[in-house]
Amino acid sequence: MRIPRGALLRSRVVDDPGDVLRTVLDEELTGYVVFEPQDALLLGEATRGVVTFEEGIPVLAYDTERDRGGRDGLEGFAVTGPNRVAVHAVDSEELSDAHETTEFRVPPGEPARVLAGDERLATETTDAAPEPRREEGRDQSAVEAFLADEDAIEAIRSEARDEARARAAEWGLDDVLED
Amino acid sequence: MVEAFAVASGKGGTGKTTSTLALGMALATEYDVTVIDADTGMANLLFHAGLDDADVTLHDLLIEERDVQVEDAVYERFGMSVVPCGTSLASFEAADPARLRDVVAELAHDTDVLLLDSPAALGSKSAVLPIVLADRIVVVLQPTVPSLSDGLKVQEYAHSYGTDTAGVVFNRVRPDENVDRIAEQAGRYFGGQALASVPESDAVRAARRAGEPLLAHAPDDPAADAFREAAARLDVRDGDGRDVAERFKSAVVPDRV
Repeated sequence: MRIPRGALLRSRVVDDPGDVLRTVLDEELTGYVVFEPQDALLLGEATRGVVTFEEGIPVLAYDTERDRGGRDGLEGFAVTGPNRVAVHAVDSEELSDAHETTEFRVPPGEPARVLAGDERLATETTDAAPEPRREEGRDQSAVEAFLADEDAIEAIRSEARDEARARAAEWGLDDVLED
Repeated sequence: MVEAFAVASGKGGTGKTTSTLALGMALATEYDVTVIDADTGMANLLFHAGLDDADVTLHDLLIEERDVQVEDAVYERFGMSVVPCGTSLASFEAADPARLRDVVAELAHDTDVLLLDSPAALGSKSAVLPIVLADRIVVVLQPTVPSLSDGLKVQEYAHSYGTDTAGVVFNRVRPDENVDRIAEQAGRYFGGQALASVPESDAVRAARRAGEPLLAHAPDDPAADAFREAAARLDVRDGDGRDVAERFKSAVVPDRV
């Protein structure tokens, strides 16, 4: 995905990705923010993602390391805790081409929900979005398509099972594990 | 007779606390119900039940040095026994989550139904413990992809730790959403029963502001009707309170991580 470079407004480490999402919502940023989770860095993993904004409302999300976009892309750089964030302003017209990449689009509240686990901010962002975008996260056909994709659902379930087992060991809950 | 349910959702915003208290009040017409705010990191049940000024809360029971009895943290409200949790970060940090097992075991002795309002997270032992301790979970979902995806994850955790699914509540459903079809599809993956489809309602926010459970604040609201329907469909299983208490006591719960 090609995003115009724009002007760097600031680059800093924030305690939580939600902090910058709230700030750019308040200042109605048109541009993009690069997120680099610092904990992932400590583990030696290069994790980086970009979210673009139109007047403070998230439009696209893109995981630059795994080359994936949309909600899937967001999951790739969703690491809570300190993040280095670089906030860039881009002219709205220059961004409009990139914003036509529909497969990378995310519902307005999704970055707050996925990156920060902040449901309240997600709701506020959705409420602040223009009318046609407010319904994006609640597209019934998307829900039906999701539930019809048995392989994808099984992937979520088996990943959760593996995670539950791994964490049981970590938390000393081995004895309650079902075989 | 006792059965313990964890009311769970995976992520916030689905109306889990509203659901816990609504199911609790509806079940209280038939059973002796105890509701526990087991979301010890982000407690909010106290605000929903008008217990903002409660002197003793679950936190006090989870901190070893505080000399309080379990019954000191139990408040009789709206026909239920309510155990709120405090909101102090310092208390949360000092709390030993493993003590929850003993608290639940003691409360299980003389109640029919225990409802544990569970954390909207799976990232720590204290967040997962209510699901481990409960007999079954009630999953609260919104008809959205993220909510269903998170609900599936919670259910897998629960099943991995030997906790079954009692049923699913679709909450905050908008008028244009046809949940019947989604519920039918979701039924292939979620265990238990489709308990109800609860419409999005302004009465829920009004109830929260008034510090009252929905069923007390707006008993005639369609959302309240739907929660009563959910409670009626929930097949509470007979069990011996003492057995349950013993099980909780013997459950292997390690020291805090």
